[in-house]
Amino acid sequence: MDYTNSKSNKILIFENVCKTFYTKTEQTEAIRNLNFEVAKGEFVALLGPSGCGKTTILSLACGILAPNSGNITLCGNNDASTKNIGYMLQRDHLLEWRNIYRNIALGLEIQGKITTENTDRINTLLDKYGLKDFAKHYPNQLSGGMRQRVALIRTLALNPDMLLLDEPFSALDFQTRLKVCDDVYSIIKKEQKTTILVTHDISEALSMADRIIVLSHRPCVVKQEHITNMDSYATPLKRREHPTFAKQFDDIWQELNV
Amino acid sequence: MSIKPLSAEHGKFLQKERKYSFLVAVTQIGLLAIVLIVWELLARTGVIDSFISSSPSRIVKTIINTFKVGDLSKHIWISTYETIVGFAAGTLLGTLIAIIMWWSKFIKRVLEPYVVVLNSLPKIALGPIIIIWVGTGTESIIVMALLVSVVITTITMLSGFCQTNADKLLLFRTMNANKYQVFTKLVFPSNIPTLVASLKINVGMAWVGTIMGEYLNSKAGLGYLIVYGSQVFKLDLVMACTVILCLLAGVMYFLVALLEKTIIKWKE
Repeated sequence: MDYTNSKSNKILIFENVCKTFYTKTEQTEAIRNLNFEVAKGEFVALLGPSGCGKTTILSLACGILAPNSGNITLCGNNDASTKNIGYMLQRDHLLEWRNIYRNIALGLEIQGKITTENTDRINTLLDKYGLKDFAKHYPNQLSGGMRQRVALIRTLALNPDMLLLDEPFSALDFQTRLKVCDDVYSIIKKEQKTTILVTHDISEALSMADRIIVLSHRPCVVKQEHITNMDSYATPLKRREHPTFAKQFDDIWQELNV
Repeated sequence: MSIKPLSAEHGKFLQKERKYSFLVAVTQIGLLAIVLIVWELLARTGVIDSFISSSPSRIVKTIINTFKVGDLSKHIWISTYETIVGFAAGTLLGTLIAIIMWWSKFIKRVLEPYVVVLNSLPKIALGPIIIIWVGTGTESIIVMALLVSVVITTITMLSGFCQTNADKLLLFRTMNANKYQVFTKLVFPSNIPTLVASLKINVGMAWVGTIMGEYLNSKAGLGYLIVYGSQVFKLDLVMACTVILCLLAGVMYFLVALLEKTIIKWKE
C-alpha cells in the first residue's frame, strides 16, 4: 500500500510541534520540531527508546496536552473538542466494580450516547469477538489477554476515527503478548481503524505496522521512516517469519543506536 | 461452608485447613475461659479483694440486677444512639470535606495544615468548649463523637481520593469525562474499600468520643454509669459496663464487616 503521497487522505498531521514541560526546578524539552503524518486506514508505529516522549506525542494527538508551538491537525480540523480518538493504555484499566458489559459501555455512558443503535453495536462487538458469554462477568474473572481484548472493545465502542495504542502489551508476559498482539491486530484490521502504536519493542513494531517512525532520544525528533512491506503475511506472528524481518530488525536497531 | 473436595489430596488439604481453624477457635474460647475461671477462683479464695477487682459471677449478677431493677437498657440505648449518630455524622461530614478538598486543589492546599493540626489535637481538650457552646446532654456527646471521627475520616478519604490511578484518570480524560463523572464513576467507586476501612476505624473512634463525652458531663449512658460506679466504689458496676461496651463495640464492628462483604462483591 502506498500512503506517502496523496495529501487529501491524511487523518493526522504534526507540523513543527514543540513541547516543553516545566516544574519549579527544571524544564524538560520533550519534543522539538516534530513532523509526521498519518493517512486514513494506515497502521503506524512510533518507535523510540524509553522516555523519549512517545506518550507525550499521543497525549498531544489526543488533545489532552497542548503544544508550545506548531500545529496538530486531525481529520482536517483544529478543534480539540470534536476529536474522536480511542486511547488504549499499557494496562487494561478495566473498572473492577463494573461487569464486562458496563466496562465496555463506559465511554458511551460518559458521553451520554447510550442509544439503541450504540447498545446494538456493543452487543455485535461482544458477539463478534467472543465476549458475549462474559458480559456479566467481572474483570478479575478474566485472563490478562481477555481483559486486554475487553479494553480494545471498550475503545472501539465509541467508534473512534483513530486508535492510539500506548505500549498496549507491555504488561503481559511474552506468550500472552504474542497471542494478544495477533488478536488485537485482527480486530483492528476487521474494524478498519487507523492506528498509531507507540512502542520501544522493534519486533512488535515490525510485526504490526505498515510504517515505522523511528524517534530519537529526548528532545524527540523523527530519525527515519521505515516502510515494512510485509502485507502478504496476514498476522503479526506470521510476519515474524517473513524473510526480510531479521534484516529490517537489524536496520532499525542500527538506526536506534546511532 | 462445605467445599466439595476436588480429589483425595485436596480433601486432606481441606481437612487440615478445617482442623487449623478449629484449633484457633478452641484456643480463643479457651483463653477467655481460663482468664474468667482464674479470676473467679482468685476472688472466691480471697487471694484478690473482690471489692476492688470484682469477679465474673458478680459482674453477671450486677448486669442482671441492673437490668431488672435499674435502667441499664436505657443507658445502653443512650450510649449506642449517641455513638451511631456521631459515627454516621462524622463519616458523612468527613467524606464531604474530603470530596470538597479533592475537588478544589486550592481549597486542599489552604486547608491541609489545619486538618493536620486538628488531627493531632486531643479532642477531649475541646470538651469544655463544646459543653459551653452546645450545652450539656446528648447533643454535646454526639458532637464529641463526631469530632473524634471527622478529621481522621477526612484524612483517610482524601488520601484515598488522591491516590486514584493516574492512568485511569487519563483514560477518563480521553473519553471527555467531566469532573463530576470522574468523581462518581471512578474516584468514589474505586475508594469504596477506603470508605469501609474508615468506617471500621470510626466505629472505635465514635465510642471513644461518646464515652469521653459522658465522662465529662452526662446524666445517662454507659460512660456515666462507669464514672458513677467508680465514685461510689461499685467496681461491679464499672466492670459490668465495661463488658457491655466490649460487646457493643464488637457487634458494631461485625456489622461493618458484614456491610463490607455485601458491598464489595466484585472483590471475589
